[in-house]
Amino acid sequence: MNRCKLLLAALLFFPACAVQAAPPDSVPVILIRNATVLTVSHGAIEHGSVLIRDGKIAAVGQKIDAPAGAQVIDATGQFLMPGIIDCHSHIAIEGGVNEGSISVSSIADVAEVLDPDDMDIYYDLAGGVTSSNILHGSANAIGGQTLLIKLRWGQPAARLPFEGALPGIKFALGENPKRSNLSIPGASKRYPATRMGVEEVIRAAFTEALDYKKKFDDYNRRLKAGEKDLIPPRTDLRLEPLVEVLEGKRYVHAHSYRADEIVMLLRVAKEFGFKVRTFQHVLEGYKVADEIAASGAGASTFSDWWGYKMEAYDAIPYNAALMTRRGVLVSINSDSGQEAAHLNQEAAKTIKYGGLSEDEALKLITLNPAIQLGVEKRVGSIDVGKDADLVLFNHHPLSAYAVAQMTLIDGHVYFDRQRDIAARPALQKEADALIEKEKKAAAASKEKSAEKKPEEKNSDEKPKPPSAGSSQGDAQ
Amino acid sequence: MKNARTIRQAQRTTLLAAALLTAASFALPARAQSPAPAATATVYAITHAKLFTLAGAPIDDGTIILRDGKIAAVGPKAEIPAGAQVIDAKGLSVYPGLFDSVTEMGLSEVSAVSATVDSSETGDFNPDVVAAEAVHPASEHIPVTRAAGITEVLSVPGSGGFDSRGGGGVLTGQASAIHLSGWTIEEMLINKSVAMGLHWPVIETRGFDFSTFSRKDKPYAEAKKEYEKKLDELSDWLERARHYAQALEKGSPARFDRDVKLEALVPVVRGELPVLVFASRARDIRNAVEFCEKRKLRMILAGGEEAFRVKDLLKARNISVILGPVQEAPAREDDPYDQPMTQPAELSAAGVKIAFASFDNSFARRLGQQAAVSVAYGLPYDEALKAVTLYPAQIFGLDRELGTLEPGKLANLIVTNGDPLELTTQLRFLFIKGQLTSLDNKHSLLYDKYRNRPKP
Amino acid sequence: MPAAKRHGNSLVLALAGILIAIFAAAPQAAAQGGEPSFFAIRGARVVPVSGPAIDDATVVVSNGIIVAVGKDAAIPAEAWIIDGKGLTVYPGLIDALTDVTLLSSSTPGRPSSSGPEDRPGATPWRSAADEATLADKRIESWREAGFTTVIASPKDGIFPGQAAVLNLAGDRAGEMVVKGEVAVPLSLNPVGNFRSFPGSLMGVLGYVHQVFLDSAWYETASAAYAKNPRGRARPPYDRTEAALDEALEDHGLVLLPANDSVQIRRALDLADRWKLRAALYGAQMAYETAAEIAAKKLPVLVNLQWPEKSKDADPDEPPTLRLLRFRDRAPSSPAALAKAGVKFAFYSGAITAPKDILKAAKKAVDAGLSEDAALRALTLSPAEIFGVSDRLGSLEPGKIANLLVADGSLFTEKTKIKFVFVDGRKFEIRESPKPADPPKNGPPGEKPAEEIALHMAGGAQ
Repeated sequence: MNRCKLLLAALLFFPACAVQAAPPDSVPVILIRNATVLTVSHGAIEHGSVLIRDGKIAAVGQKIDAPAGAQVIDATGQFLMPGIIDCHSHIAIEGGVNEGSISVSSIADVAEVLDPDDMDIYYDLAGGVTSSNILHGSANAIGGQTLLIKLRWGQPAARLPFEGALPGIKFALGENPKRSNLSIPGASKRYPATRMGVEEVIRAAFTEALDYKKKFDDYNRRLKAGEKDLIPPRTDLRLEPLVEVLEGKRYVHAHSYRADEIVMLLRVAKEFGFKVRTFQHVLEGYKVADEIAASGAGASTFSDWWGYKMEAYDAIPYNAALMTRRGVLVSINSDSGQEAAHLNQEAAKTIKYGGLSEDEALKLITLNPAIQLGVEKRVGSIDVGKDADLVLFNHHPLSAYAVAQMTLIDGHVYFDRQRDIAARPALQKEADALIEKEKKAAAASKEKSAEKKPEEKNSDEKPKPPSAGSSQGDAQ
Repeated sequence: MKNARTIRQAQRTTLLAAALLTAASFALPARAQSPAPAATATVYAITHAKLFTLAGAPIDDGTIILRDGKIAAVGPKAEIPAGAQVIDAKGLSVYPGLFDSVTEMGLSEVSAVSATVDSSETGDFNPDVVAAEAVHPASEHIPVTRAAGITEVLSVPGSGGFDSRGGGGVLTGQASAIHLSGWTIEEMLINKSVAMGLHWPVIETRGFDFSTFSRKDKPYAEAKKEYEKKLDELSDWLERARHYAQALEKGSPARFDRDVKLEALVPVVRGELPVLVFASRARDIRNAVEFCEKRKLRMILAGGEEAFRVKDLLKARNISVILGPVQEAPAREDDPYDQPMTQPAELSAAGVKIAFASFDNSFARRLGQQAAVSVAYGLPYDEALKAVTLYPAQIFGLDRELGTLEPGKLANLIVTNGDPLELTTQLRFLFIKGQLTSLDNKHSLLYDKYRNRPKP
Repeated sequence: MPAAKRHGNSLVLALAGILIAIFAAAPQAAAQGGEPSFFAIRGARVVPVSGPAIDDATVVVSNGIIVAVGKDAAIPAEAWIIDGKGLTVYPGLIDALTDVTLLSSSTPGRPSSSGPEDRPGATPWRSAADEATLADKRIESWREAGFTTVIASPKDGIFPGQAAVLNLAGDRAGEMVVKGEVAVPLSLNPVGNFRSFPGSLMGVLGYVHQVFLDSAWYETASAAYAKNPRGRARPPYDRTEAALDEALEDHGLVLLPANDSVQIRRALDLADRWKLRAALYGAQMAYETAAEIAAKKLPVLVNLQWPEKSKDADPDEPPTLRLLRFRDRAPSSPAALAKAGVKFAFYSGAITAPKDILKAAKKAVDAGLSEDAALRALTLSPAEIFGVSDRLGSLEPGKIANLLVADGSLFTEKTKIKFVFVDGRKFEIRESPKPADPPKNGPPGEKPAEEIALHMAGGAQ
């Protein structure tokens, strides 16, 4: 049984070994028993149980019997909560988080460069995160396309995207796209260099997108009318995502700090007829909370980051609580593979800074980001019918002392702390063995080349095998 | 203000009046920056509190008397002097204020705006620069940080920080110990020169070429040469300083010209001023230990990401470690995912003295959180608490005045509604140098302002 | 006496004439007949690759073509006979992707690019067939290692140009060309940075996709415009679109870089989405993904420069387990591909000492690949992948006379290569006294004048 576990642990831990077809721990029925179940949607259940079947939550309650063949996880004294959803992440991106060379880089798509081997995926899993909103960086006013993934560690990139979630696109306002904190010796400044320019970049791009859309509508109309030999407009991969934004098929996630630029974007969005899905960072959101609330945009912010940039100088740890009280849908995010490993703790800070309740605090990292990302029917709370994306903590998650013990996605255990610990000696042994093997091979080939040299000398003196010279003129 | 609402009413009328007076002063919008000591009270009595003295078992229902900036008495039954301002702390706990021993406090305001950053001087060898000479007493970071229960810090030049441009220097200057309260640096100063910053040169194989704005890797042999060159330079400096020290001591200073840099190094080479060595990798730590031992320098390790790999060496040489935030990714991909978080427990179990520090100013608030997380991963709670109070004081030779609640020590303490390391604990009262210090800060004031924004 | 003197004078004159003729004719020796191009290797072990090995057989070569292979092959009288006892005859080896025959020109600083429309890193009209030069000293060292053919391609940029099949001998560069334009290799390395597009992998992918879309558009648009130009805007001419469109219509083979599993899976997906006829190159982690590659039926070029510990590595930084496993298992990728039924060829990657190429192939054999399959990957498979298997890649009558003659099995270390035939021309391979690396391509700008002249004559873009 132990060898089995180790093998499973190895499969879990090393994508190199993972069989792509079957996710790890393909146990169709799991009962997590006797935990404090923090449902987020309908309160806490003491001594609660959750039944998982075929990747979904099948039952939630206090007395659930384990069906035959079910794997039972005894969670006595532990706390079960919905898997944490990180609304702002740059993990799992290969080859650069920013296409920072141009002001509108919507042609770039993070979905095409997912790196399933990024260790941050595992570190975040170990902190209880089950889904992450993978975003392009903030180098450009309009950045690249984004997507939501589940942290299915060990699966190939094609299995990471959250099925059915709408894709997104990253906007950035303020100091980063205008490059005020970055000067490259010898290089001229890139447009835009002011917040005015940042706005104009967005307006110009959407103006272009509208024209582009019109061209295609025009063309399609004429095609339908039977016109022949039409030259179609070019498909422009830069403008396609913007058209999708206009059509409501793609979410806008806007990195923003200062109150005025937040409101500016709402103005621009209104002018062009699209919606801002979330403001990201939105550290001065508390100053314009009512405006944000009225627009329906969500706000995804930090717990207590401040002071590193001018636009972050007025950031306050009360931001999330204040916005929440004014009716904004708020989530707390990480923007960092390391921060994401303790989002439960970051959410807890809103209890101290602003007096949110425990449930409100938990929502900031579960149901609220789920709603912001349009996947609340699938995840974000422990309710029958939702995906079994769960995390088990040894203490109440809103505590600095809580350590994640197990993280499940779609009812599969993707992180198990005990298994991780148990697997360590074997991995160390394997590494040592491989290093030894390489050393031996290197020593052997050194010997060989040392032997060869005297041998080669001799071969010159050996009589050559019959060759052309001696066969000259032989009759055939 | 929260504090005003939660002060328990005292029984005697005079106390009631005093309390109301205190409450009133809290209700007024206080100035954001400087501390506004409540009244001119110099004697306080905090009663019925649970006292965590860190010099013995906690006292369940205790009293602590503060007079003239110091702790006058601590105990289950301490006599309350006449005229003392009494704070009934029933249900509350008293701890020594937290000590963040590696910060950029006062040296950097907005790290992306270089005009506001004074933490790293240019050039590799600046032993003579002193943090206290540039600490900005009106920095917004100070009230923000003390509102999280931190009462004193070491302000360390070139110690990093969020988004910081990094130092790059080798001898980066002298760290100063300051209270997080005071109108001027003179009022804030605890000790102007507590340690000499030394950033151990790194064999840098991974480089960045700014002209092409891309990564440019260097072969190991080349990087090692550059490293050795820097080390040689450092050795030369110390050698010259030793000479200078000898000339000062044995010879006649009138016969040679003074040198401020070498003078700054004299206490170092005499072993009087410890060297705060910033080193992360095991190899660097080992080399630094050997280097300091050879030259009889007193070494304190800062950073120590891979200290666990050389813990026996550290223990054998009695080298303390100031650890940075533990919620980081492990140094190596193959290290256990929780290596940084279990390291404090591992070092402590091996007998290495540790302290926690933020290595920052914006994130100094997270000091308690780092200690708590270490407890979650195996460090005994008492050790964790001491690692942010007593141990940094001991490590930097300031434990005569700080680090515990004992008579004679400075009255830097916090009154909380619970465990100061836990995230949700509220700070009720803050005392620095025996003065009740306002918890107002830039953030709380902005909160108030926008909480009261009328609906549009 | 005068008669003798006259004879003496005319003798001197004749001698002088002959000498002049010889020296004057030296560069034009090729115009002369030279050695009659009829050869036979008799009584050797013959490994045709397209069929089973034959012992004690003969290979007859005539005017650059293999005319007979077999035990009873008829040998023409004009043929120079090589006693094949103790020798083995193989098809000449093919290096499936390299830049041998091309001398890299000094790349002028790339102009800054502000988007896909600037076509950064795109020169798909460049052709190895146009730029191949005999002045590349590597031709000789590759040949001495048994290679008769390379698939050569320029390598600068994202669309560096088109690959051609070249034989490694000739009097003029053009004689090397077996088939020009056989594939469009792609590189996905960002040519830009934070200031110049594209600076990220996702930028490159978006860009490449856009270029393919534009090329398809170009075809539609120019056809429609040609049909009826009146009253409409003409589609602007774009050299990249024109060249790519032509290439895709012609051979349509795109080479996608894909070395580790993430890249391999990504390339398989891209080939699908962009509707490309593709081959993967790199494939050193195929040991994990062979079945997926087989499912998509794509051929693969395997990089023989196996990952190894770098000499520059920091000794205090141990390699990760991930890297150790990769280094350990990479040589087993060919075996995995063979097992999964994927067609694959070998290429030299960045190996600079061509003798190491066979050594690397041997490593794959040690890791589980059959010698037959290894040989095929160096001969018939690359010929098939690049559409020249009707004339290259095996010892069959009618095919081009590219042969490798060795004194033993190719995958035995002690074996020495004795002869190499390229287009029926015999090269005798002698042992060099010291194991020296072959002369590399000089850095740009430091070429002897003669080489530069040749290179420019070859038709720079």
